[in-house]
Amino acid sequence: MTALWSKAIRDLRGERARTAMVVLAIAAGIAAFSTVMSSYAILVRELDRGYLETNPASATLWTGAIDQRLLDEVRASTPVSDAEARRTVRARIRTGPIAWKTLMLFVVADYGDIRVSVLKPQRGAWPPKRGEILIERDAFQVAKTKIGERVTVRTTGGTERELRVAGSVHDVGQAQARMENSIYGYVTLDTLADLGEEPYLDELKILAARNRYDEAHVRRVAEQVRGFLESRGHAVRRMDVPRPGKHPHADLMGMLLLSMSMFGMFILLLSGIVVVNLLTALMAAQVRQIGVMQAVGGTRGQIARIYFAQALLLGIAAVAVAIPLGMLGARLLCMQQARFLNFDIASFAVPLWVYLLDAAVGIVVPLLAAAWPVWKGSGVSVREALADYGVSANRFGTGAFDRLLANVGGLARPTLLAIRNSFRRRTRMALTVITLAAGGLFFMTALNIRASLIRTLDGLFAQRNYDVSVSFASMVDPDALERAARATPGVVRSEGWVMKEGSIGVPARTQMLSPRMAAGRWFREGDAGVVVINSALAAKERTRVGNVLDSRNVIGVTREPFAPAIAYVLREPGGVNSLRLALRQNDADSVNRVKAALEKNLEREGLRPVNSQSIADSRIGFDEHLLMLYVFLLVVAAVIVLVGGLGLMTTMSLNVLERRREMGVLRAIGATPAAVWLIVIAEGAVIGTMSWALAAAAAWPVSKFTGDALLARMSRGGLDFVFEPAGLLIWLAAALVLSVIASFLPAWHASRGAVAEALMYE
Amino acid sequence: MIELTRITKTYATAAGEFAALRDVDLTIGRGELVAVVGKSGSGKSTLLNVIGGIDAPTSGAVLVGGADLRGLRANALARWRGRNIGFVFQFFQLLPTLTAAENVMLPMDFSGAVPARERRKRALALLDRVGVIEQADKLPSALSGGQQQRVAIARALANEPGVVLADEPTGNLDTGTARAVLELFRSMASAGTTVILATHERDIASIIDRTIELEDGRVRVTA
Repeated sequence: MTALWSKAIRDLRGERARTAMVVLAIAAGIAAFSTVMSSYAILVRELDRGYLETNPASATLWTGAIDQRLLDEVRASTPVSDAEARRTVRARIRTGPIAWKTLMLFVVADYGDIRVSVLKPQRGAWPPKRGEILIERDAFQVAKTKIGERVTVRTTGGTERELRVAGSVHDVGQAQARMENSIYGYVTLDTLADLGEEPYLDELKILAARNRYDEAHVRRVAEQVRGFLESRGHAVRRMDVPRPGKHPHADLMGMLLLSMSMFGMFILLLSGIVVVNLLTALMAAQVRQIGVMQAVGGTRGQIARIYFAQALLLGIAAVAVAIPLGMLGARLLCMQQARFLNFDIASFAVPLWVYLLDAAVGIVVPLLAAAWPVWKGSGVSVREALADYGVSANRFGTGAFDRLLANVGGLARPTLLAIRNSFRRRTRMALTVITLAAGGLFFMTALNIRASLIRTLDGLFAQRNYDVSVSFASMVDPDALERAARATPGVVRSEGWVMKEGSIGVPARTQMLSPRMAAGRWFREGDAGVVVINSALAAKERTRVGNVLDSRNVIGVTREPFAPAIAYVLREPGGVNSLRLALRQNDADSVNRVKAALEKNLEREGLRPVNSQSIADSRIGFDEHLLMLYVFLLVVAAVIVLVGGLGLMTTMSLNVLERRREMGVLRAIGATPAAVWLIVIAEGAVIGTMSWALAAAAAWPVSKFTGDALLARMSRGGLDFVFEPAGLLIWLAAALVLSVIASFLPAWHASRGAVAEALMYE
Repeated sequence: MIELTRITKTYATAAGEFAALRDVDLTIGRGELVAVVGKSGSGKSTLLNVIGGIDAPTSGAVLVGGADLRGLRANALARWRGRNIGFVFQFFQLLPTLTAAENVMLPMDFSGAVPARERRKRALALLDRVGVIEQADKLPSALSGGQQQRVAIARALANEPGVVLADEPTGNLDTGTARAVLELFRSMASAGTTVILATHERDIASIIDRTIELEDGRVRVTA
């Protein structure tokens, strides 16, 4: 080993504490990066693998009753490798004494021979017997029931029956029940018959024989099957071809992973800043040795190589620490994501490319971070280097800003000392302030986005003047609905609507809506041949007020963030299929009481709803999605705050280390350890306060931009931005507490060192 | 005023125990100006540190102004030092972010011995006494070496200590400035302050009252 390598290694060994700090700082960034990249690799693989394992249907066709002969013919005569008949029935389920909830009832003929969109039994009985129901594992939280309990189920046209919850299944291809606020149940044909429904299957799920992932090919195959069914006298009502091989939530996951990757890179960048700070300090402490090496013939390149070798060794050590941490982080993150999207992870194995990328980044980042300080440090002249001694070389007071600071008075000397000390290493201080401010900025952004989303949702729901909506499978007599509503205690107003796919028919002077108009106007009495569309439809159809849509003049655009594309039309005279009710009281108990009484009154009129939902029920799904987004932003903020805190701790440690002799002088002239401790803590607090000020200044524009960008991805309609002032105070308190915590150990060391040793320190 | 009895100070080094002071017995009276001389490593700085309470002897007793330093803990020692000892260092060791006056006021802040509203007045008076009153509101970086050392002396006198310890106070000054600084010490001693200088200067016999020569941690000559 050459003397240069020996120096590189021994210097690191000699400054174990500092070396450990640098390794930890680099490792924190690499571990965050590794967590994100490993999660990306695992989740993309496992989401698709878990989904493909279920043999997801290439297409689904809805027709009349499908018997075994037709099914065999489809399997034999069309380019499909397999086909299976199912049925989905809209029903309602009651697990308690009052509340009915939406139930999607999936009917399977033979649970022992599921070939397409396979269900995975989880707990309890399999298959379900007659009179039993299986519930999707994620839906138990919505259903609030347990295996072994009895629930009441009622289909639209059938009768009310008690079924036993026999077990749980995992239906990978379904949207999460929690998000949809509905329950997925699985029964046999016998049970369906017991529920008063005709026991037939009308849903044909097919698997394309070849090129299963070629969407155009799958569509051609589905068309062939449609032609075949129609040639056998089975009209096809609807056909659905999902994106081949992709989990329904692959896009959502992709967006999450993309966001995570961006944040991973950002955290890596912040970690790089911390490393620049550390290596700059490392070089500053080596100035005299650099002078000696130059004096004995070392060239700038040779000297720089020693320090680059140190950066390389630090990087290698950091990678060794970061990879296991990254794997652990990835495992936790993947488990959380899998729980959120309701899928299982069979293997947490990380592909080789992730390890190689981690290693490359871990080694390159310190080398890049070292480039400037090493090159600058190794270029110091011999005279300057040999003249460098301890703290006195730090020439505070030569710049105009220093002199300006020196004129700041009116505070106790120790406080002045802390404030002015903060500005001695200005680049270091700026970098520390930036890393810490980034954490605060994300935190405040998370709070602001949450407050804005809540306000936006409040705005959306404030347009709805009803508390309960009740829907029916077909058109019913509005007078009968009116009678039932009037007879129900607690109902203040009622109104019948006509719901169709993509449109809602309302009275011109509806009392159930107070639309916020983005453009144009709402209906007036006497309007005809006109339509009001919402912002989502306006964006989708690229149309605006004054244009014609489906032979109707567009007279207004409503602002409805998060809502699907909807056109409002004037209700035609005749039947309605939806009832909106405004209640006297809209707490959960009152709503449930009204629902139960209304059910009875509707029964008396011979009407049976398919669904009745309160405004609170319909808001749950929104709230769940927003909570996920909010938690995600807070987690990112927490990681950034952690890196920022680490940055502050390293900065304070370096400041203390470099000013060890000054600390000794302070102690020599009578400062107690507590006084020294307070000076260092105050210096940390000054940096924390500056980071707060920077974050506070940037919080409004960054929150607005991020909120708008997120909402643009999620829906049309714009964010009702609101700045959460409490965020400023919370972050100020958090920044100060964090500063004290980050400065605590350096301050402790500064106050406890032996005075004589400190005075001798160079 | 200062009484050292059988003081030994050893340090653990990689090469084994190193004795910086061995069985030192010493008495220095009030208002004496004493020079401690000797080669590098002879124990001069250690002796000053032991007297000033910034280093504890391994064995022996230190009495300064009647105070036995052995029983004092870190906080009490710091308070005692602030009120009773003034330090002057070779490289001045002014705090670079404080002005000259603020540097002088700092020990008063720590000790609380001077009322807050009188501190600046006193600091300016001290700076005037050492001849750098014009530099009061300048940062150390704007001062020459000699001016910085005068400010450091003013700082050492901030709380009117009974003892001033100066470690190589002229080691970094030119001859003329060094002479002026030594004269300052002379006037301080004449006014009743005990001043102990660790120095390499040979040509100071006319100024000092006594010389203590150290060799390998032992007092060789006191004259």
